[in-house]
This record gives sequence, C-alpha cells and structure tokens, in this order.
Amino acid sequence: MTAPRRKDPAAADRTGAPILTPRSAAGPASGPGAAAGGGASAAAAQPSLPGPLFEALLDCAARRVSGVIRVTGDPGGAIHLAEGAVTAIETPGAPGPEVLLLRSGRVPEPGWAAAFTAAAPDGELAPELIKRDLVGTGELEVLLRAALADAMFVLACGQVTGCELAPPSADVLLPLVPPGGVGWLLAEASRRIQVLGALPPAIGHDRDRLAPAPGRVPGAALGDGQDQVLALANGRRTSRDIAFATGRGVYAVTLQVARMLASGVLVIESRRAAGPAAPDPAPAGPGPARGEAGPARGQAGLLPRRKRGASTRPGTAPSRPVAGLADRSALLRLLRPGSGAENDQGS
Amino acid sequence: MAEDALLAELRALRDRVVGITDTALASRDGLIITADTVDINPDNLAALAAAAQGLAQRMAAEAGKGALREALTRGSGGCVAVYPIGTVALLAVVGDEGLDTGRLHRESRVTVQKLAELLGGAGPGRAHAAAS
Repeated sequence: MTAPRRKDPAAADRTGAPILTPRSAAGPASGPGAAAGGGASAAAAQPSLPGPLFEALLDCAARRVSGVIRVTGDPGGAIHLAEGAVTAIETPGAPGPEVLLLRSGRVPEPGWAAAFTAAAPDGELAPELIKRDLVGTGELEVLLRAALADAMFVLACGQVTGCELAPPSADVLLPLVPPGGVGWLLAEASRRIQVLGALPPAIGHDRDRLAPAPGRVPGAALGDGQDQVLALANGRRTSRDIAFATGRGVYAVTLQVARMLASGVLVIESRRAAGPAAPDPAPAGPGPARGEAGPARGQAGLLPRRKRGASTRPGTAPSRPVAGLADRSALLRLLRPGSGAENDQGS
Repeated sequence: MAEDALLAELRALRDRVVGITDTALASRDGLIITADTVDINPDNLAALAAAAQGLAQRMAAEAGKGALREALTRGSGGCVAVYPIGTVALLAVVGDEGLDTGRLHRESRVTVQKLAELLGGAGPGRAHAAAS
C-alpha cells in the first residue's frame, strides 16, 4: 500500500482550498511512450480542473456538505462526504476496504463474517475488527486512506458523464475517521495520474488486458508479488481486475504491471473497447448557476474552467445530469514528466 | 456464423461492464450454447445456472412476485447473476467484488435482447443446432 501522506499540503484541508499545482518539470518530456496528450508544456500555469466531478468536490468541500456524490460514467461510483471531507468512495474501478482486507488474506473470511454479524446492530465494524485482533488500528487507518486515494485516482481518470448530490447514506461499512480532505485526495490522484502517464510504456489500468509474454521460459520466481500478477494475467484481466483478485490497490498493481511490461515479462493481449458514449451535451432543464464562483476557489487561486452547462451547484435540488468531459483526456493534457516514477514503489 | 455472433455479444457485455469475469449462454435445460469463460467449467456453470433459474422462478411465483427478472447469488469473492432469455435460454454472468449489479442488470437488457434475436425465437433443438 502507498504510505499515506501524513503531512497534508498547505491549505489542502477541510476548508476546501485545494492545491493542485503541477509538479515542476524535471526536464524535457521523457522518451518513447511518454504522456499522451501533447508532451511538456509551459510549467508555470496552474492547471484548470476540468469536469463536473472536480467542481462538485470543490463545492462540497467549500460548503462542508454531508452527502453522497453519485458519479455516473466509467467506472463511476459514489463519494461519501461528511462536512466536506471524504469518508469513503465506492467504485467498481478499485477495490474497497473489504476486498483489500479479505482478498489479500489479511483478514480470514470467518473472522470477517463474525465481526460483521456482531457489528450489524450499530454498524460499527471497525471496532469489531480491531477488538478481535483481525486488524490493528493504525493498520486499518492506513488501509482506508490508501483505498480512498486509489478510488479517487480511478474516478479522476475515468469517464464522468454526470454528478449528482444525494443525501448522506448510513451504509458505509468502514468510513475513514477522521475523513480525508478533498484537497489531499485530488492532489494524490493527480500525482498518481502524472506518474503513470510518464511511464514507458503507457498503460491503461482498466483497458489493457494482460498476458504472459509468449515464449517466456518459466525460470526462477520473480518475487515481489510479480509471480502472482503473472499467474493472474490470462489475457482477459486488466490491472484493475488483477488488483481485485489480489486485494491490492489498482495504482500499485498498474505500476508493477508497467514494470513487467517494460521488462518483457507481460504483454498487452487486447484492449477493452471504450466505455459508455458521452451523453447529449444539451441537457434540458434549468440553466446552471453561473457566476457563482465560490469564495474558496478565488482564495485558492485555482479557477476551474467553467463550461456552459457543465456545473452543478451541490446542495440545490434537484441536480440534473451534466454534459460530460472525458476527464481523463483533459487530465492527460496537464501531465508533466513524472519526477517520482522511479522511486514510487506503490504498495 | 451464428456462434461467432453469440460470442461477440457475450464479449461486448464483458467489455461494457467493469467487473464481469465470465459469461455463458445456456439452454433452459442446462446445456451450454456458448461460453466466454476461463477457469470455470462451462458445462457445470450452464447446468447450475439452469437449476438456479428454475428454482428462482418457482420461488418468485410462490412468493407472488411475478415474472423472474434475475437470480443473483452473492459470495465472498463475487457473484453470479442469471437472466432468462425468452423461454428457451438463459444468460449467466460471473463477476468480481467490484461488479455493480444494478448496472449489470440494466446493461444486460440489451444483451438479452440481442441474444434472443440471434437465437431467433428458436426452440431448444434449434438453439443447440446453432451452436454445433
């Protein structure tokens, strides 16, 4: 698991003043297979945050909203907020805490089932797991933070066709307490996207289906979890699928897969077809609340580029589906050559 | 060839919905027609899916819940969903823990419809012939 950022970037806190500055360019764009989307550009400009997802998150953080942002798209998901900070994210795109604990073997199934049953009346699963010595307090917090960061990463580079704010849900099994700041999560997601985008070869964590390189002679064990990844690479599984099967984070598995591709252990056998098409960009219904730049954005010096029809104002009902950008391609345009790829071990 | 078209529909569903690991098209009496599986025995899957569907259908009727829409089995490591296709066939979908079953149910409608068309309103005999 990636070690959590214990020291949040300045002002990336629950008041919702996010910091999402580009990493300073380490030099010219890296070699073949470097970030798709146009190479290095002038490093000075702060990136604008594209898309309804980020606007919704920033708005909710600034207004200390409690609720659930339901994200439609591929993979889409649900972001649970308590007073503007994130307690949990559910998405088909990344393993949640239950999968991370069970599939990795950290918690045996019978133990989990017993804790779940005992916790059912009041919904407090974390104390039950800790009480039964199934997981340590610190260990659980690290895991929950890592799961949040992983989920935000896949949401951020996925396709977002709409965001709607719903009332809070009582259904979160293992909320992160205290909740994670939106600024920290977005900064971490951005960092991960940059690192992956700078890796040769470029890899789609949810698109590229992996297989062992043909003609590879089975030799000594590769170690470091690579053997498990190799065994699961059956021509159908993507990095995301392997992450679910092993109870590891998608980002960490994708990093490892990228290294195994580069070293010739794995090949990309095929690619998933593109996700759902973007919706009709002319939605019916009342116009968006324009000219409502929240004070928090001005203070952060970060002005999302607002597109006609592309914003929602969380907290007003009812939100309507908004025209989607492919956030991934927009984010890829912001990529700088990664400065931390070689040091980033993931987890 | 008919079987290629059936397999193409199964693969298209797996591409569209993140979390699907395997799918199979089977006849109502539990014989495999076309499978897009790996590590799961398609004959066993077809037989069990047909049994599951039959049981679920009787359960729905007994409980007064109308026509069967979906028989869903949840395990600690994922799930299996079975959808009727007309009166002659069924679609089994296996997914991992990340599979959004609500999304699957919606997305499977198109696949069920296309599979029904490809099977051509066939009786069980013709459905098997299409596969052989």
